[in-house]
Amino acid sequence: MLMTEQEVQLLAALQNIEIAPGHVPGVIRNFAVLVQQAALLFDAPLDVLLEPAPVFRP
Amino acid sequence: MAELVALPGTATEIAAAVRRGSVSARSLIEIALARIEALDPKLNCYTERMAQRALREADAVDARISAGIDPGPLAGVPFGVKDNYDVVGRVTAAGSIVNRRLPRAERDAVLIERLTRAGAVITGTHNMDEYAYGFTTENAHYGATRNPHDPDRSAGGSSGGSAAAVAAGLCSFALGTDTNGSIRVPSSFCGIFGLKPTFGRLPRTGTFPFVHDLDHLGHFAGNTADLAAVYDVVQGFDQGEHACADLPPSPVVPRLGEALDGEVAKLGGWFDDMADDQGRDAAALVAKALGARGRTTLPGAERARAAAFVLTSASAGNLHLETLRSRADKFDPATRDRMLAGALLPANFILQAQREREAFRTEVSAAFSRHALLIAPATPCSAVLLGQATIRVAGTDLPARPNIGLLTQPLSFVGLPIVTVPIRNGPMPIGVQLIAPPWREDLALRAAAHLERTGIVGPCETNPC
Repeated sequence: MLMTEQEVQLLAALQNIEIAPGHVPGVIRNFAVLVQQAALLFDAPLDVLLEPAPVFRP
Repeated sequence: MAELVALPGTATEIAAAVRRGSVSARSLIEIALARIEALDPKLNCYTERMAQRALREADAVDARISAGIDPGPLAGVPFGVKDNYDVVGRVTAAGSIVNRRLPRAERDAVLIERLTRAGAVITGTHNMDEYAYGFTTENAHYGATRNPHDPDRSAGGSSGGSAAAVAAGLCSFALGTDTNGSIRVPSSFCGIFGLKPTFGRLPRTGTFPFVHDLDHLGHFAGNTADLAAVYDVVQGFDQGEHACADLPPSPVVPRLGEALDGEVAKLGGWFDDMADDQGRDAAALVAKALGARGRTTLPGAERARAAAFVLTSASAGNLHLETLRSRADKFDPATRDRMLAGALLPANFILQAQREREAFRTEVSAAFSRHALLIAPATPCSAVLLGQATIRVAGTDLPARPNIGLLTQPLSFVGLPIVTVPIRNGPMPIGVQLIAPPWREDLALRAAAHLERTGIVGPCETNPC
C-alpha cells in the first residue's frame, strides 16, 4: 500500500514531525514495506487469550 | 616497509604466554597497533584508534606481572568494541553524527571494565551501521567496512567493523551487539565465530540502545576457546541494567570438552527455503557432524521475522523521535527513512507484533522440549558486494540490505542464545547458527568446540595485506 505525500504528512503532524519534502519518497517506500510485513501478522488468527504481559514469578 | 607480523596465536594462547612471562603485553599491543596502522586504511574497521590508552594498559599488565600480581585471564589480549559501547572520555557516536552533541562518557561500558580487569587491552572503537540499523556496515558518515576475504564485499552488519577487525587479525576478539542479527551476520560474512547470548544474560550498562527489548551484547573471536574465555569474563549481573537477569556466572571454559547430550535437529521450512545452496549445505554438514537425527520446523518463523521487522522500525522511530523532529537531515538517509516510517505505524501493528512474539516463544519452547540444539544457516547467502542492491532468495530478487537478516531475526526476536560457526564451502565463507534453549549458552559453545575438534569448522584464513 503506497501512501500519498499528503497522508504521510498528516500522520507525521499527529506526532509533531515535519518531514522534509525530499525525505517523503523514502518514507513512503519504507512504510509500504512495513505494511507488507505487518499484513503477515494478521494471516493466522491468534488465540484471544494470548497476550504479552510481563509476569512476576516468585 | 617492514614485514607485517601476525599476532602470535589465539587470545587464549597470547594470554597464557603473557601470564608466564614469555612475552610482554607491550610487545603484543605494538604488533596489534602496527597491523591496525597498516591494514585499517584498506578495511575501515576502526572509527577511533586508542594507541596511547592501549600502550598504557599494556604497561600496567606488564607491571602487575613484574610485581608478582595475577594480571588476569586475558592478560595482554588486544580487543576492540563496536562504536555503540561507552569508552571513558569519548562521545558514543553509535555510527551517527547526531550523537556528537551528547556528553563524553564518564566511564567505560561495564563489559569493557570487566575485560580490562581481566587484563585485556582495548585498541579502539569499530565501525557499524548508523544506530545499528543495517546488515552491511555501509555507513554514510564513516564509510563502508570492507570484508578481509574480499575488499569489494561487505563485512556484514551492523557490527561489521568488529567482525572484520577480528577476521583480519587487527585484534584477537571484539565486542558487538545483536538486535536482529548484527553479530551473526558479520560472523557469517567474515568467516569467524560469534556468540549472541540469551537476552538478559549480559548487562548492557554503558551501551547506546537501538531496540530496548531486542538488544543483546555479545562478541566475536577466531575460535570457540576464545569465545568461551571472553564469555566467562563478561558474564554476571549488573544493577545498572534493568533487563539483566540476576543470575550467577555460569563458566563454560571448563565444560568445553564435555559431550553434547540431547537431540540435535536441523531447522527446515523457513530456514531451508530462505537459504541458498551454500548455506543449506553448510547447515547440513554441521547437523550431520553433531549427530542430528532429523529436521524440525518452526512454522511461525516467517511471522516472527515480520513482527521483529515491524517492532524494530517502530522502536527505533520512538527512540529517536526528538532528533527526527529536529535534525532529520543529520541521519544516514537509509536509517532516517526507516525510522520515520516506523514512527508513523498504527498501534494495531505493534500490538499484533507483540502478541506474535508470545506465540512464537511458545512454539520455540515446544521445540526445545524435544531438542537440545537446533541448526540453521546464518545468512541467506555469503558476503554481498558493497552496494549490491538485491539478493536472490527462493527464486526471487529481494532488496539486499533489509533481507540479509531473514534467518537471524526470528531467533533473536525470542532472545535465544546462539553461536555462529564459520564454514568455508565456497569462494566466501558462510556461517551456521547453533541455537540453544534460553540460558544454555554452554550447549551451543560445547557443540562449536566439538565441531572445531573434528575439523568441521575452523578459522577461515584471510590475506588482507
